[in-house]
Amino acid sequence: MVAGAVAVALLSGCGAGAAAPTASQAASGPSAVAPSGAPSGETLVVYTNSNGEGRGEWLTKKAAEAGFKIEIVGAGGADATNKLIAEKNNPIADVAFGLNNMYFEQVKAAGAIAPFTPAWSAEVDTAKGDRSDSKAYWPLVQQAILLGYNTEKFSADEAPKDWTDLWTQDKFKGRYERVTGLGTATAQLVFAGILTRYKDDGGDLGVSDEGWKQVEAYFKNGTPAVAKTDLFARIAAGDTDMGQMPSSIIVEREKSFSVDVATVMPSVGVPLAIEQVALVNGTDKQDEALKFIDWFGSAKTQGEWSQQFNSMPVNKAAAATAKPQVVEFFNTLKQQDIDWNFVQENMGAWVEKIELEYMS
Amino acid sequence: MLRSPAVLIVGVALTWFIAAFLVWPNANVLIQTFFPDGSFSGRAAEKLFSSQRAMKALGNSFLLAVALSITVNVVGIFIVLVTQYFRIRGSRVLFLGYATTFIYGGIVLAAGYKFIYGDKGIVTGFLVGLFPGMDPGWFSGFFPVLAVMTFATTTNHMLFVTNALKGVDYQTIEAARNMGASTWTILRRIVLPMLKPTLFAVTVLSFLTGLGALSAPQVLGGREFQTITPMILTFSNSPTSRDLAALLAVILGVATILMLAVMTRLEKGGTYFSVSKVSSGLQKQQIRNPVANAVVHTAAYLLFAVYTLPVVLIVLYSFADGAAIQTGQLLPGSLTFDNYIRVLTQPSGLRPFIISIVYSALAALIAVGGLLFVARLLQKYRNWVTAVVEYLLHIPWILPSALLALGLILSYDHPNPLVGGAVLTGTTVILLIAFVTVKIPFTLRMLKASFTSVNSSLEEAANIMGAKTLYVFRRILLPIVLPAAAAIAALNFNSMLDDYDTAIFLAHPLYQPLGLVIKANTDGAEGVDGVSNTFVYTVLLMVITGVTMYLVYGRAGRKSAKAAGAGTGDKRTTAPALVEAAPAESVRVP
Repeated sequence: MVAGAVAVALLSGCGAGAAAPTASQAASGPSAVAPSGAPSGETLVVYTNSNGEGRGEWLTKKAAEAGFKIEIVGAGGADATNKLIAEKNNPIADVAFGLNNMYFEQVKAAGAIAPFTPAWSAEVDTAKGDRSDSKAYWPLVQQAILLGYNTEKFSADEAPKDWTDLWTQDKFKGRYERVTGLGTATAQLVFAGILTRYKDDGGDLGVSDEGWKQVEAYFKNGTPAVAKTDLFARIAAGDTDMGQMPSSIIVEREKSFSVDVATVMPSVGVPLAIEQVALVNGTDKQDEALKFIDWFGSAKTQGEWSQQFNSMPVNKAAAATAKPQVVEFFNTLKQQDIDWNFVQENMGAWVEKIELEYMS
Repeated sequence: MLRSPAVLIVGVALTWFIAAFLVWPNANVLIQTFFPDGSFSGRAAEKLFSSQRAMKALGNSFLLAVALSITVNVVGIFIVLVTQYFRIRGSRVLFLGYATTFIYGGIVLAAGYKFIYGDKGIVTGFLVGLFPGMDPGWFSGFFPVLAVMTFATTTNHMLFVTNALKGVDYQTIEAARNMGASTWTILRRIVLPMLKPTLFAVTVLSFLTGLGALSAPQVLGGREFQTITPMILTFSNSPTSRDLAALLAVILGVATILMLAVMTRLEKGGTYFSVSKVSSGLQKQQIRNPVANAVVHTAAYLLFAVYTLPVVLIVLYSFADGAAIQTGQLLPGSLTFDNYIRVLTQPSGLRPFIISIVYSALAALIAVGGLLFVARLLQKYRNWVTAVVEYLLHIPWILPSALLALGLILSYDHPNPLVGGAVLTGTTVILLIAFVTVKIPFTLRMLKASFTSVNSSLEEAANIMGAKTLYVFRRILLPIVLPAAAAIAALNFNSMLDDYDTAIFLAHPLYQPLGLVIKANTDGAEGVDGVSNTFVYTVLLMVITGVTMYLVYGRAGRKSAKAAGAGTGDKRTTAPALVEAAPAESVRVP
């Protein structure tokens, strides 16, 4: 009897705690700033989806040289997001980075990250980070989400000019790879870039019928991706000629599979995925975590990171030390104007609708 | 039953465990999923049932589950018979070939079959040379998926049916033959009926494997044959769609439990042990019809080729670069140790391997050790209490591991009286609890099946002579089921080595197991090194699981031989010949 009553009390307490976002309280608090002084060397737990291809090891080593002891926990974007939200009552991580605005916006809404202001706040374009007044995540690295094609099959003139050409022009039908799941950030951003053009308050999930027809045609006319076979491998084998790709992987994949890929620049621009860094709400090592973020986002560290991993830093001072061809590419690129609030509000429902109704 | 203090203690401990780790966390996660604002919403069902794709995929999963329950039994019984029952030339070699499914599974196994039968595969190339009109993409759709999954999941037959077969009393076979029964009649009327409890148990597992099929349909299903698991995984990762994932998982879970109920009913009332006074060990049978003999030999060796070719190619490809693996081109000169050097010289080194081995070994031992006595009680005392307990212990089969993990976090991220007011998140214990929990249904099923075939007169005799419950259990029952228990422990151990779904949510940041490292090194949008790393890790895991099998096999063999020699007169002295690693998916929750 007593146990039952306790159980019920716990159950309701638990349910309420989890359902009601505590964001308002966290978000309205003052923005935290790192105190001055050298790092204490306490172990910081860092969650990231950007630890692959040697990034985690590189960062651990560089951080140690600067006096920080960090333990990286790697997870995919969606996994890291769910983990941060699930642990919000008793956080294990101190810092999280690598997730894009869409993911961090979910984490923020759940109250799992706290507002802060890094020392390098003036060196980044705030429009690329948290656009609200109490900023809980700050931008580090940007990636373009592109449509790439095999230059052996299409010249620049013949190539598609935009995603929509793929299913409206017969010569591209069946020649582009389409995704078989919307679990990855890249796929979600491609759809954000397409659906946002058909914004219609009266339409289903804020998108007009015309927009959903595009999605339907995308799935109908593409060749499905193959599990564990890279797009570039399929291009090399001649199975397909085009597909989605984040800008950072192109150079390396071209070399490995001996193919030459050019990218499409639609007149509306391309979506950018911007990796962010955030302070976990409720960490008991807040001062050390803030010092680490100040160091990690600084022009010097970001410049070295960009040099090492061919990425494009958001920090303007760091761009000077990034690879010139990468900087050049981003200078010529037009960023698609996407209403991120609209996308963030709807992405979960869009993914669900696409998975249930349009994928085959 | 309640007079024995041992039974009472086990009962109390079990009730606590079930309440704290099976019912409470999962009820939490389900309530939060289906009653997000405190009121139930039929949204999930509405969305799912109006989606053609979801319904088709769900149908495919069920089709695969039913088909697999049949085909795995056919192939599984066949390979057990040719390695253990009939006199077949080279049966030891055949056994090693069939045993390869013990040490690998998942996406790499599917890829291995694709190297051979896929559109650029070796066999396809050969066939297209013979029949130029043939479609190179022939190996895609339902039948290839069924074939690959059938060959990949005979592990449980090899272990448990083999073990049960060795318990068949040879005197009954001889008697039948003296009365003029044919080889076929003996098989059908005497041998197979004795194997029923084990066959029922492995059939439930095959059904479950079919329902939860993930990688084989992804790699070989093509457009026509996709299953529901990828959709469950996508939806369980999205907070706004988690109700769909949970509903799908519950549908699959209920189907599994129904299947279980049917099998339990079929099993009821039979006698699955020899009742003769002095039973004798099985001897191999000669197939007397020369044509049948030739056919069985040919089939056995063809199957051997089917089983071993993918393994050989996977090992070879693990030395090739990622581009070669993905484009299917293998040049003899291009094989190097680079992949192995890259994987093994990471800064984290061997640490994740050791962490995973410790976690898996602890979880495997706790699950088997803890359930040995429980399984016996559930098998012996059949009433509504034990029936409820038994079904509750199957809860982990209902939910995908990601949701189980979320349930644990949700329930134990604050001081909770169920665990003495402790906070479990962020500790090293919570992952161990999850590992043990996930392995309970499989462990219980197989242990119960092996207790069923123990001759109850042994226990009665001991009771009459005044032995206490625990003494009987320790000195009489335990030695008999030990080979099966060792096999189950080894399978549990192997299937948790590369776990990702649970560890990603529950691992302690300073003790990260292998699955997370594998993921970090193989995901990277399926890059070049990523794919070759996948192969390297598969081969390394094959080595670990192979060693496990060898160790368990040797030990169990010696121990049980000694115990049986000491006096029960029972002849189940043979260890599971090579105890193996199930392909991770064969025992995975849907």
